[in-house]
Amino acid sequence: MLHTENLSKDMGEFILRNVTLDITPGEYLVIIGPTGAGKTILLETIAGFYPPDSGKIIMDGRDITNIPPKDRNICMVYQDYMLFPHLTVEENIGFGLKTRKKDPEYIRKKTVEMARLLSIDHLLHRKPETLSGGEQQRAAIARSLVMEPNLLLLDEPLSALDGQTRDKLRTELRRIHDITNVTVVHITHNFEEVFSLADRVAIMNKGEIVQIGNPDEVFRKPESEFIASFTGMENIFKGSCSHQDGISAIKIDGHIVYSATCLGEREVYATIRPEDILLSKDPIVSSARNSFKGRITDIKNNGMVIKVTIDVGIPVVSIMTRRGWDELQMNEGEEVYLTFKASAVHVF
Amino acid sequence: MSDIRNSWLRNATIGMSFLLTFFIIVLLLLIVTKPSFETLYTSITSPEIQFAIFMSLGTSIISTILCILIAVPAAYALARYSFFGKGAVNAILDMPLALPPLVAGLGLLLFFGTTGFGNALADMGLVFVFTPLGIIAAQFFVNFPYMLRIMRSTFESISTRYEFVAKTLGCTDLQAVWRVTLPMAGSGFFAASVITWAKGIGEFGAALLIAGAIQWKTETLPIALFLNMSCGNLNMAISAATILIIICIVSLYIFERYGGASRL
Repeated sequence: MLHTENLSKDMGEFILRNVTLDITPGEYLVIIGPTGAGKTILLETIAGFYPPDSGKIIMDGRDITNIPPKDRNICMVYQDYMLFPHLTVEENIGFGLKTRKKDPEYIRKKTVEMARLLSIDHLLHRKPETLSGGEQQRAAIARSLVMEPNLLLLDEPLSALDGQTRDKLRTELRRIHDITNVTVVHITHNFEEVFSLADRVAIMNKGEIVQIGNPDEVFRKPESEFIASFTGMENIFKGSCSHQDGISAIKIDGHIVYSATCLGEREVYATIRPEDILLSKDPIVSSARNSFKGRITDIKNNGMVIKVTIDVGIPVVSIMTRRGWDELQMNEGEEVYLTFKASAVHVF
Repeated sequence: MSDIRNSWLRNATIGMSFLLTFFIIVLLLLIVTKPSFETLYTSITSPEIQFAIFMSLGTSIISTILCILIAVPAAYALARYSFFGKGAVNAILDMPLALPPLVAGLGLLLFFGTTGFGNALADMGLVFVFTPLGIIAAQFFVNFPYMLRIMRSTFESISTRYEFVAKTLGCTDLQAVWRVTLPMAGSGFFAASVITWAKGIGEFGAALLIAGAIQWKTETLPIALFLNMSCGNLNMAISAATILIIICIVSLYIFERYGGASRL
């Protein structure tokens, strides 16, 4: 659908280096990377705000490298909404259709339809400044979607929102993507957004795409030290969720992990923070729902804490304090018991 | 002993600001209360002052429109683009603010009076020396930096991303500016126009040199003030001054009230 070939751009502070990317129709691609990785400039170059120094952008077989943004039908949503403050929400959403010289009746109909899809149809007459952050972002998304864009670019669309609003709008983005099947490129530095939204994830660093693939693969098998340390996530497991006795059970490679939260019966990602996993020589009797027996495969001592990898059929990482580890007195290859609470298992 | 409830620095500096305020009010009151109200009224309604009001309004409105047409695009470029020589251009464009108006007027007089370009304009019927056209040129030259500076800071305060978004919604570069940036710059634009216009009304030095001080011909309010003062016609001079004071107060009020974040 969209293909970039060796795209490079030097803007001094931000840089893009030989980005080659293939986006397939209808996919939801999330690009994640540290601040200053060149994520925004990649989107802005795809949108056509400035010409690349070298490389090509091909959309549906057509070279669009040098055509102006207005002829690309690629829409952009920024973190800080960028709603036009002098226009009402309705005028904002209808802005693009008005530019296309559609008839007012049609614009009105489409605007209301889109506002309804984003549950902001009661706000149409309001000025953006009177809306909450979440409402403003919904309006900004509606303003783009109403154009039926070939490609929708989202530049950290949820980053300016508070926790609860963010979770809600994230679910909403998933739903809207399912309904409209619009092709999306979404930039973020939030891992939850990757797992709950992405069909594929691309990791960007210093202007380059360093790895791309489905989220499971990228996080489980990082191709470089940078990716491993950047993702920094240990204990990410993909499994299927089901309810058992009022608590949810997640089946991961044949092992059952219990969690206090579950999002219905479907494929989920579960994470456990390494410091929430307790190690012991003998089984512990406690209220914790999860208990496993495994063999220590790796011990990394970085002074402050000890990072222990245990194979229980799946690799699990635990982090202990130096004192805790000294008391345990264990070595590589020995058998150990793992215990963690259901509430320590985070599901998304 | 010093007492934190009674800082002498606070009292002294606040006292200084009140002294200045008082000084200004005294000066303004002295001017407007000098003649009786009837004499003031007769002078203001006299044909000569009426002519000066008309001349001032006409020239200042035209010069303000010229400032808008030329300085607003220039301000946009300086706010949005980086280009070779931008620093120098910025510095030189601010120059007329610091330049004594008489020097600016001398330059304009030489430009329109002695160069081939000035002569060519004169041959086409556009005579600037000793005519109202000269007043417009003087007002434009001395005051466009106000328009430029306010609009530059106004454009700078509007994120480029609004235009980016407008372009993804089908706008050409120009449409994005016209439909998004300019409406958003509205209050700054209004404030800049008012200040430029008010400065134009009061323009004297540069206008004096290029347009002369000719009664019934290039007689604006400041020129009328000057001419009547020089021949001892105090009441007429004061009536011109009074109108200038009123315009000054009103425009300053509008600037502060509606100018928003715009700064000189």
